[in-house]
Amino acid sequence: MSGQDDPVQREIHQDWANREYIEVITSSIKKIADFLNSFDMSCRSRLATLNEKLTALERRIEYIEARLVILSETFTRQL
Amino acid sequence: MPLVTRNIEPRHVCRQALPNTIRSELECVTNISLANIIRQLGSLSKYAEDLFGELFVQAGAFAIRVNTLGERVDRLQVKVTQLDPKEEEVSLQAITQKKAFHSNLIQDQQLFCRPSLPQPVQETYLTCNPPPPLNNLSQYRDDDKDALKFYTDPSYFFDLWKEKMLQDTKDIMKEKRKHRKEKKDNQNLRTLNPRKIKTRKDEWERRKMGEEFVVPKNDMGYHDGQYGAPTQKRTSLLSPTHPPPAPPMPCSTPTGTRPNLSPPPAPPPPPPSTGFGVPPPPPPSGFDSSPPAPPPITNSAYPSPPAPPPPLSQASLSPPPPPSLPQGGGAPPPPPPPPPPGPPPPCGPPPPGPPPPSFSIGAPPPLKSTQAPSEAPPDAHSDLLSAIRQGFNLRKVEEQKEQEKKDNYGNDVAAILSRRIAVECSDSEDDSSELDDDDWSE
Repeated sequence: MSGQDDPVQREIHQDWANREYIEVITSSIKKIADFLNSFDMSCRSRLATLNEKLTALERRIEYIEARLVILSETFTRQL
Repeated sequence: MPLVTRNIEPRHVCRQALPNTIRSELECVTNISLANIIRQLGSLSKYAEDLFGELFVQAGAFAIRVNTLGERVDRLQVKVTQLDPKEEEVSLQAITQKKAFHSNLIQDQQLFCRPSLPQPVQETYLTCNPPPPLNNLSQYRDDDKDALKFYTDPSYFFDLWKEKMLQDTKDIMKEKRKHRKEKKDNQNLRTLNPRKIKTRKDEWERRKMGEEFVVPKNDMGYHDGQYGAPTQKRTSLLSPTHPPPAPPMPCSTPTGTRPNLSPPPAPPPPPPSTGFGVPPPPPPSGFDSSPPAPPPITNSAYPSPPAPPPPLSQASLSPPPPPSLPQGGGAPPPPPPPPPPGPPPPCGPPPPGPPPPSFSIGAPPPLKSTQAPSEAPPDAHSDLLSAIRQGFNLRKVEEQKEQEKKDNYGNDVAAILSRRIAVECSDSEDDSSELDDDDWSE
């Protein structure tokens, strides 16, 4: 019996070890996938806030430029 | 049904059929799982690259924008330092002559269209079956429609919304015109009768016990008069697809000084009150005041009705109703204010007058019935009716032309549509501001 069991047992042990190995690898893959998703989400949210600020700034600059154009035109007119 | 953007390919690592001729199955399974793991890593890295690529592109665009902004700020800084000490006054002429500042920023449109689909989702989409080639059958159709549109039409909802918006803008324009007519008429009538001074004492008294106990005054009146109307405010999205109200209110108000027809003053409240909170009280009161005023003049004015109708008929032929209204309004004052709406029923007949003939579908049949007992010569009326019908036909053709024009605009009209919404909002603001004026004046 032990003669039969040994190779079988060895195989089964080996199989268990392999499965544990595979399990470790797959769970790390899942962690990587999770990390990528959360990184993506946080990056997008930060980029979106940046976008908002940029558009606000752009609008203000347009307005200021328009005001300055008026001022400079009146100045040149007076010259 | 949630769609997954990126799917890592071999979903199950170990679930694969083993070939039969293997001795050490456990090892086989192990090897197969390891191979699948490697494939998973491969697809994971592909998706990671895609992900970082998208983020990089976005960040790059932002970097460009930040750079341009920085340059603009520098230029502005230079400009400001140049201008400051020399010129500080701005002449008043400049303020009035220059056009108002109009922002050039373009709003994002067409965000969720086919080209903006992210790459992985596009690939998923491509793995699906295409729709059947039904367009090969559209040459056999009698009406010029795509056969595929009956099966699947991506632009269906957009077209539906577009039509609804157009309809809404038309309704709003019509309501605005009616409202203006009512206001004009009310103002005219008010000048005849000194209006009693309305104070806000009532409101202060109601509020004195505590603001929580204030019951809005108009509730009772509304429940009686307006049972079916959902809201008091007009919301442009819940379009009151309320067809243009029948002759009574809008046409009769300008003809308050003119021979008015069978429609008695009773129906006026429902049509305008759908959109406007306050007006229902004033118009009926306006009406009550109008019959007493003209009747004294009735007797002398009887021969005049035939005179106004012909000029009115000519007025109604001119296509756009608003110009015809002032024209018709101009015609009667020279003759003494002709007989009134309700009181003399036998005087029923005369002209539907200027009412936009689109409303007059219901008007001509009742008119015909009231014509029998009429006093005025039937010839004038039949001429009027025919003229009205022609006017109506004319307007139909014009509407078709307008529709064709709109079709030709094409679908870059999304911008025009958003502008129309802005117009609607401004219209509703104008109306609400007019309503506020009414509140203040009352």
